[in-house]
Amino acid sequence: MTTTHTADALVTETVERLLTDLSTQGEIEHAESTGWSSTVWAALAEVGFPWVGIDGAKGGSGGTLYDLAAILDAIGRHAAPVPVAETAMVGGWMLAEAGLDLPAGPVAVAETTGARVVDGRLVLDAPVAFARHADRIVTLMPVGPDGIHLVSLRPDQVTIVPGYNLAGEARDTVVVDAPANDWETSQISDDLSLSAPWNSIRHRGSLSRSIMAAGALASMAQLTVDYTNDRRQFGKSVASFQAVQIHLVTVAQCAVRAKMAADVAVRAFARGGSLHEIAAARVVVDDAITIGTRAAHQAHGAMGVTREYPLHQLTRRLWSWRQEWGTTKQWRRELGSTVVERGADELFALVTEHPQP
Amino acid sequence: MIEFEPVDLTTEERRLQVEVIEFLEQELPHGTYRPGLGFSAEKDPAFSRKLGERGWLGMALPTEYGGHDRSAVDRFIVAEQLLRWGAPVGHHWVADRQSGPVIAKFGTEEQKRTFLPRICSGELSFCIGMSEPDSGSDLASLSTRAVRDGDGWVVSGTKIWTTMAHEHDYVIALTRTTPIEESGDKRNGLTQFIIDLASPGLTATPIPFIDNSADFCEVVFDDVYVPADRVLGEVGQGWAQNTSELAYERGGPDRWLSSYLLVEELLRRDGASDTDARPSPELLDLLGNAVANYWVLHHLSLSVARDIDRGGAPAIESSLVKEMGTRFEQDVVTAVLAYLDEAPNTLDSSVFGHLLMTAALTQPSFTVRGGTNEVLRSVAAKGLRPSGSSR
Ligand SMILES: Cc1cc2nc3c(=O)[nH]c(=O)nc-3n(C[C@H](O)[C@H](O)[C@H](O)COP(=O)(O)OP(=O)(O)OC[C@H]3O[C@@H](n4cnc5c(N)ncnc54)[C@H](O)[C@@H]3O)c2cc1C
Repeated sequence: MTTTHTADALVTETVERLLTDLSTQGEIEHAESTGWSSTVWAALAEVGFPWVGIDGAKGGSGGTLYDLAAILDAIGRHAAPVPVAETAMVGGWMLAEAGLDLPAGPVAVAETTGARVVDGRLVLDAPVAFARHADRIVTLMPVGPDGIHLVSLRPDQVTIVPGYNLAGEARDTVVVDAPANDWETSQISDDLSLSAPWNSIRHRGSLSRSIMAAGALASMAQLTVDYTNDRRQFGKSVASFQAVQIHLVTVAQCAVRAKMAADVAVRAFARGGSLHEIAAARVVVDDAITIGTRAAHQAHGAMGVTREYPLHQLTRRLWSWRQEWGTTKQWRRELGSTVVERGADELFALVTEHPQP
Repeated sequence: MIEFEPVDLTTEERRLQVEVIEFLEQELPHGTYRPGLGFSAEKDPAFSRKLGERGWLGMALPTEYGGHDRSAVDRFIVAEQLLRWGAPVGHHWVADRQSGPVIAKFGTEEQKRTFLPRICSGELSFCIGMSEPDSGSDLASLSTRAVRDGDGWVVSGTKIWTTMAHEHDYVIALTRTTPIEESGDKRNGLTQFIIDLASPGLTATPIPFIDNSADFCEVVFDDVYVPADRVLGEVGQGWAQNTSELAYERGGPDRWLSSYLLVEELLRRDGASDTDARPSPELLDLLGNAVANYWVLHHLSLSVARDIDRGGAPAIESSLVKEMGTRFEQDVVTAVLAYLDEAPNTLDSSVFGHLLMTAALTQPSFTVRGGTNEVLRSVAAKGLRPSGSSR
């Protein structure tokens, strides 16, 4: 069998060890005061993980998309508040592909095709994950008459209005101070329409959320099994009640669905296949988040909604990720449109065709 | 935690996918047959024999008994396409899915020679004789008795919900050969028999189904004589054998595709690209949701098949898949009904109308047949162990 679809064991082991040691409950809590964990970031950066999947010749760490997926899965499982997806999967990758400088620190990405002018200044019209910690903020913008540009902004060119997602991770508003002729830009090649580069970035961003969410759901499932086995009421562990077992099975199903969806979407994407798997994965994962977090919390009783117990560090991230890089509704309709385009005779092929190894 | 490994299909497996599609396009062109819902589609022994000729029945059985020594994944690929087509699989489905494999696993040499080649050719049809009027989920409490009589056995009692017992050839019946008082545990003292449905003293009476069809039956055994060589496996080991039979019954594509054709036909009806009208957001929502779920269930269920081929015993995994797959089958029916502006009409004879009516009426059975979802959850929960404990 081919082994091209697996991550390097050294990457998997290293990220697991680093995050087990550093992305602790206390550190994650502490990170909410600044919107990220500089400690965890520094440890991952030291071994080059935030640039995995980016060509070594272009300033990245090399490695495959499978390696990057293993890192993002671990970030999800350990609820690590660091902009690795933003840097490796999207922003840094964009810079490297466009031949622009890859900075030493995080790269943030504005999830927007546009910007609006407020009081003569340009405001990117969507919150930017980890913007305040980034060395560069990248986005796509129509510039001048010659089409779409990748724009790379330095921190001194912007004003940041801090914001946070439900998990206390930085989700900032970015106001661009520098005039357009001071921006570092790279024209996206002429043969691409405005939507094509954006489309690819959007899919990369969304895939990163599916992978991380699948990781977080796996941790959540195990945590719920552990807690309900420990917790005793009526003289026995609550996991022995059939009604509680339903919750355990529900969370486990959500975790395996999300993991399978993310895994298959990664394979399809890594093999240069079509993009509909990424849309399908988001529909599956978002649904798993909604159903799984509800069951996990119910099985935990009051303990689940305290800050002392770690469940919330997973569930608050899951609720946030569900609404980043496109909403469930957008991805569902996009997939629906693909289905309509392919037509009834092709419907089953969409379900059963496999990404070619 | 439970893990499902994603599956890559080999070149041969992809080719098989294409071959089955080509076969179906040729044998059953659209409009020439009435497509059914999953494995409760029509029965057509001639069609089953054609599949047998292609080598697509009993695929994973040994060649020396007429099988093809192929894999569970190969069988999965064929089954999946047949279900998608709504093909008339009723004659051979149970024989191919579980009776054949169980006979291959536990049967005597003579039984294998007698039954397997004719299962693989699509000739013989089988029924599942587990449930009884007083023993449903609590199957081990069953009371149909088999008592030794000279060289053979005499069976008396009643089986119920036995699908197709009035038309099929054989039933594999689980019976009690040692009374509970003597066996200690109700799971001890059970024995499986291969019983000819034409045996004297055996009466199979159809029980009208909710949509007025007549598929499942009450089967009364009034001192039915069964020769000694029709004991399947070991006397007293029926429970363990039956449990292994259930593994074949669960987790396959028939547990998430029952209402699939409803979606395909709806798309054919409302998604036509020759109209200028853009598809409604409601249609896009329904289709996006359905396809994403079919897609992930396909991969999960295929992963179970691959695990079987590697020698795994994915009982927990198949329970997880069947439980969510059958719930999803019902969700699809609910979503389609909610989307439509018109109510199903029992006189609507269009392909879509007939499927809709049947699905609307029969969908409660999806989460009952083959073990209820409540029971499946209990089975699956046993596989959810705290960290540090081994599986
Ligand atoms: C269409 C159809 C075809 C069938 N074909 C066959 C066939 O060919 N051969 C055959 O042998 N059987 C067949 N069956 C029977 C099927 O296997 C049983 O219906 C099933 O095992 C459940 O048994 P029951 O109907 O007696 O329900 P019960 O066991 O009476 O259950 C009633 C309710 O109680 C719940 N319940 C029961 N025990 C527990 C428990 N321990 N924990 C939690 N909840 C519980 C059930 O989940 C259910 O909701 C068929 C059924 C259907 C609907």
